Amino acid sequence: MEIADKTRPWIDRLKVYGRNLEQRLGRKMPSVETPPNGQSEFLPNFCAGEVVFNVVVVAEMLAIVINLIIPRNFISATPLQDLLLLSIFIQWVALAGTAVLCYTRKHLNRLPNLRALGMAYLLLLLTTFTVSECTILLLWAVGRLRTPFPEWYTSFHILNLTISAIINGLLLRLFLAKHELQSRTLSEARARLQALQSRIRPHFVFNSMNIIASLTRSAPEKAEAAIEDMADLFRMMLSQDETLVPVKNEIDVANKYLALEALRLDNRLIVNWDVGKFPRKAVMPVLTLQPLLENAIRYGIEELPAGGTIDVRLWEDNDQIHIQVSNPLPKTKSKQAKSTPGQSLGNIRQRFQSHYGEQATLTSTEDNGRFTVTVVLPTRGGNP
Amino acid sequence: MRVLIVDDEKLARDRLRELLNDIGGYTVVGEAMNGAEAVERTGELNPDVLLMDIRMPGMDGLEAAMHLMGMENPPAVIFTTAYDQHALDAFDVNAVDYLLKPIRKDRLAKALSKAHKLTMKQITEINQARPEPAERTHISVHLRGNIRLVPVPDILFFLADSKYVVVRTPTEEHLIEDSLVNLEKEFGDRFLRIHRNALVATGYIKGIEKSPAGTWQISLKNLDKKLDVSRRHTAQVRRWARNRPMSA
Repeated sequence: MEIADKTRPWIDRLKVYGRNLEQRLGRKMPSVETPPNGQSEFLPNFCAGEVVFNVVVVAEMLAIVINLIIPRNFISATPLQDLLLLSIFIQWVALAGTAVLCYTRKHLNRLPNLRALGMAYLLLLLTTFTVSECTILLLWAVGRLRTPFPEWYTSFHILNLTISAIINGLLLRLFLAKHELQSRTLSEARARLQALQSRIRPHFVFNSMNIIASLTRSAPEKAEAAIEDMADLFRMMLSQDETLVPVKNEIDVANKYLALEALRLDNRLIVNWDVGKFPRKAVMPVLTLQPLLENAIRYGIEELPAGGTIDVRLWEDNDQIHIQVSNPLPKTKSKQAKSTPGQSLGNIRQRFQSHYGEQATLTSTEDNGRFTVTVVLPTRGGNP
Repeated sequence: MRVLIVDDEKLARDRLRELLNDIGGYTVVGEAMNGAEAVERTGELNPDVLLMDIRMPGMDGLEAAMHLMGMENPPAVIFTTAYDQHALDAFDVNAVDYLLKPIRKDRLAKALSKAHKLTMKQITEINQARPEPAERTHISVHLRGNIRLVPVPDILFFLADSKYVVVRTPTEEHLIEDSLVNLEKEFGDRFLRIHRNALVATGYIKGIEKSPAGTWQISLKNLDKKLDVSRRHTAQVRRWARNRPMSA
């Protein structure tokens, strides 16, 4: 009887384990589909038919395994009877645990994740205890036991709970890991999307297309050139890899972008370039310069009815590339510009960080109505 | 039908002009490069319809529409925009007509054929739908059927006077129909309530002094006039004075 008791809680725990495994698999789709406020629900749905079915199957498999390892004539006369009794107990614990979590999930999910986890853990232990107790009472009620407190009563519970505690601990640990993985995947996907959107600003795209549509009538050659520039620019923006390119290439890309903006902004946009000498090996991440210029146009030139001048300086010094972009600022920030230029630099800063770590710096200053961004990068590129 | 084209991009204006030419039956009476210009031109040229971009430097399209709606006989407004998700959603909700860039000829023709007047409510709701509801950059003053725009940074104070509110700049005084409560709500970060009937631009406050009668008064830069601080607002004004930035 001792061993049987020992194995039982084991089984319960394994069952719960299996059950959670099922949930994990069964719940995967819905949780990804419905991230209500960006956060998927921490505890999966234990009431789903598929989950319950899986729990039953796994519990039964465990019952079979345990039936194979217990000595014969230990619980009852025949192996088949052993299996029957084991199955009943195991299924009972498993389904009780599932039901408890099913009904409490709504409340648990309202708690902070760690507390929800702790509560679920306690509930499962409580379920184990209750079912064990019920088993003894039942055996006593049908006359199989002479007393509701047989000599193995205490050790039965202690064993059940110990094993339950250990297996539940493991299980919830896995649970947590899975949840973290899932939320990390989600936030990564979101970050990637954001990165793409920050590269291609819809406002710029559609305005440019409108301009090109206008040019096809008045100046077809200009329209042609604009489409070519746009295609090149898009190719860069859509490329997934963050390669390092020679400084000259990056300046070319920036010029294509500026050509498009110049069409749009007409004589409101003036750009002064001051490019120093660069060694051949000087490289920077693709699309380093363009976002800086876009920032200057968006928060500077576009907001000024009369436009203004953007100063771009690039020079190499002490094995470092220095980039300085400065633009005039509107006197009264209009409503759209309330998100200050500084904020939109966050994305750019992040990219530098992923390329160079602490080796790259991006600083911005506002002085005398001009906003200046200064970037310093190692000439040889970092570790992409 | 007389049309006024408002866009800060020259080529965008050209395109609208050409498309209108193709459609026929419309006269372009003028062009404007931003919201403030649009309001001015509307007063001068009296167009039936405005084709107006939303995002423009200085005063944007929505604010211009707001000022225009205050006119006695406002023109119809059709907005053009490249991409402004929040505004577009709000347009749909309020059944305000808008055209997406690049603009299509048939869409333009359709919009013009059913061009209708906006209401203040529609525009206000669209403005509210934006991620950061805008405060006006100008106050519109109606003078004998014409609109005058007073830049908000030029305003020294608002003074409520029975039915109207007096808008005071260093050189001029205007009457508008608005309430101090609304103005305070909109420009609260720029103006300070010092009296039941007065809002003062914090940037123009020179000093706070005690009058011989024992009450507090505010003296202003650029204007030789003192404003009374009411007993009820004294604490608030003094709190502001303590926390004011050093540069002021």
